[in-house]
Amino acid sequence: MPTPTTSQTTISFLGTRWRLFGILLSGYLLMLMTLGMYRFWLVTNKRRFYWSHTQIHGEAMEYTGTAVQLLVGFLLALAIFLPLYGFFFYLSTQSPAATVYGYMGAGIFMFFLTGYAAYRGRRFLLSRTLWRGIRFSQEGNAWAYAIRRFLWICLAIVTVGLAYPFMVASLWKYRYNHTWFGDRKCEFTGSWRTIAGPYYFIYFMFVGFIVAGLYFSGAMTSGKAVNVEDFGDNLIVVGMFAGAGFVSFIAYFYLRARITSRMLSSVTIGKAKLVVRVRARALFWQQFSYTILVSIVAVMFLLLLGYIMGDILQPLMEKNETSLNEVLKLGWYNLVIFGLIYLSFMASLTMLAELVFGLGFWRLVARGTIIENETDLRTIRARGEESALVGEGLADALNVGAY
Amino acid sequence: MDTRSETIYGTYYDGQVADPRDVIFTVVEVEPAGIDPRDELRFYSQMVIFLEIKDRKLDHEIAHWDIASIYAKPSRKGELRLAANGQLPGARLVVSDARMAKTVRDHLPHLARHKSKRRARQSGLIIMATLAMASVVGAYLYGIPLLAGRIVGLIPAQTEIDFGETIVGQLADAFSEEGGLALCDADPESMANVAIRRFTTEALAGVDTPFSVDIQVVNNEIPNAFALPGGHAYYFAGLLGQTDNPDQFAGVMAHEIGHVVHRHGMQQLISTAGTGLLVGFVLGDITGLSVAGGVGASLINTSFSREAEREADTFSYQVAQRLNFDASGLADLLDKIGEDDADSLAMALLSTHPLNQERRAALAAFEQNSQAQVPAFSDEEWEAIRSMCGASETSAPSTTPSGKVKTKG
Repeated sequence: MPTPTTSQTTISFLGTRWRLFGILLSGYLLMLMTLGMYRFWLVTNKRRFYWSHTQIHGEAMEYTGTAVQLLVGFLLALAIFLPLYGFFFYLSTQSPAATVYGYMGAGIFMFFLTGYAAYRGRRFLLSRTLWRGIRFSQEGNAWAYAIRRFLWICLAIVTVGLAYPFMVASLWKYRYNHTWFGDRKCEFTGSWRTIAGPYYFIYFMFVGFIVAGLYFSGAMTSGKAVNVEDFGDNLIVVGMFAGAGFVSFIAYFYLRARITSRMLSSVTIGKAKLVVRVRARALFWQQFSYTILVSIVAVMFLLLLGYIMGDILQPLMEKNETSLNEVLKLGWYNLVIFGLIYLSFMASLTMLAELVFGLGFWRLVARGTIIENETDLRTIRARGEESALVGEGLADALNVGAY
Repeated sequence: MDTRSETIYGTYYDGQVADPRDVIFTVVEVEPAGIDPRDELRFYSQMVIFLEIKDRKLDHEIAHWDIASIYAKPSRKGELRLAANGQLPGARLVVSDARMAKTVRDHLPHLARHKSKRRARQSGLIIMATLAMASVVGAYLYGIPLLAGRIVGLIPAQTEIDFGETIVGQLADAFSEEGGLALCDADPESMANVAIRRFTTEALAGVDTPFSVDIQVVNNEIPNAFALPGGHAYYFAGLLGQTDNPDQFAGVMAHEIGHVVHRHGMQQLISTAGTGLLVGFVLGDITGLSVAGGVGASLINTSFSREAEREADTFSYQVAQRLNFDASGLADLLDKIGEDDADSLAMALLSTHPLNQERRAALAAFEQNSQAQVPAFSDEEWEAIRSMCGASETSAPSTTPSGKVKTKG
């Protein structure tokens, strides 16, 4: 390979949706049969799929974690949640006001805990990721990260979103400056300026539309009485609010793509550097195809329901009454079928989301990434043994960490 | 005599440095010297088999993996990732060519054996985990109601009384749409209230309980009656309108007192908490947030278990026997409570609630006193009680107001 001043290495993803579909389908069936216990194996299989099909410089990554580690992590998380559950129970026996405040407090605490769990989950994932025979790892303190995240989010809320780029930069810096590949530390070279351009552009465009909309509507009502001839003004107001709506619609794809690309492109390891480009257009098409697919699945289930249960549900429809009483008169057999159809519908939605968004986003990032100066990575050495972390029980329980 | 397999191309990682090495390797079988090949067992057990791994460019041996220590790591289809015990944890030998990977597998049959062994072990674990989960579910279905009874014994009576007070607050909110829990007759010294208090005291006479029961007749059109932990009990105007005679009234009150004495409300709460925990456990949402909400309110939404109802009935019959009134109307009246609500049918299907027939049968089995029975309240008292909530003559509402709160005494 001709080596220019900076070598460029690509990442490829060889996984297919069909293969993931097979893993998910058998996984859900087994979860049903094992009263949910199979989920730790399903998650492990999923990760093995993603990792082993991702090749950096033609060399596959390896996920070394096991389902049993996740199972143990879950049991440990129980130890944290049992007292919490007891507290919730105690709260609900108190006066309504105490219940409300207590729940709010507990909700905030859970929100805080989510940051802790996410950091611990990331640590688990990195320490179970092997490439070129060398393990990743993460240092830093999960509590420190959780506090930092919590305070930043509070600040972002107080400043009506203006502090958001500062928050993102600070959290990425903490995460990546504590991330290691072998004996070499990652470096996050970005700052709030990295994403300030796209973010504030969208932000002020949105605010501008809203303010203009309010201004025009105010000008209209404060003047004379509203009459039909003022419809022209009215149209401007509608247009302004529609503009704000359109901006926020675009913003979701545009900002997500820009922030992912620019932040990841600020990560370096020694002389090696990531250059990532994820296109907003691609994210939009994901959303689009997901919407179409969900509609198709929903229609199919409705038809199925109509076909199987039509006769049975007929009396319900006629009475236009859906009391529990009437439903129970259908009998156990029909209720079970009904329940199964419902469960498989929900499973289909989750599966579609994983197939379209989960795999889609992973592949976009993988294929959109170039590593500059990959050869510099070849001098990295292994560091220490695999830490004795057990699975990310908390993250599992709090449902954080996508993959 | 050495036997060598064909040369296989792969990539080698020593687990020490992140530097991939292009390698060629062969499976080498070294025949043991001095053993007769015809003695197959000894011959093959003494045979040394190893992977000889050579740098592809430099052509010198860089690693030597004993065959017995080699195992396969999970990888994508068509790729073989080998690791070996005794090497660094990250050391790998990767064969990316599907045909060559098959050649290696053919030479290392124990890889397939390891794989099926590992599968079997994982299946065993999954089955164990499932059985554990099933036993948790089983323990819940049969254990928690049993356990709840035991745990209740550990809760001090004062705690339960305090607890009942907070529920009274929650209830007033829950019933606010249907007219709240306003007393029909606020004067504690009125004839009706005095008569009810007298009955309560007589019913509890000689019963070993730390609770004193306070029964209030409240102005609410739902036909309902229920007891809270700690001694508060309510008799709704809606039910009073359907109460035909003083003995029915006394029977239902005694039934509610029975719930208080047996601490059924507290048991119910503990069971509810257990349910929430279990559901969370199965779904993986161990925060149980979705379930824990408003346990106090859920108390009034759920029926007591069949066993609890039976205990309360028995208590009621015993009181009737002791005070010598006729409890045969109890079954009719209790049946009117929540007559029209869907829960009662659901309960009937799940058969946790005593059906009317069962209640009647139990009543018939109960020996009645041979003496002539005396009504639990005098005519004057009964008249006072009936007119507590204003016009007593108004016919009972033909349809049950669709109350949010459905309770089975």
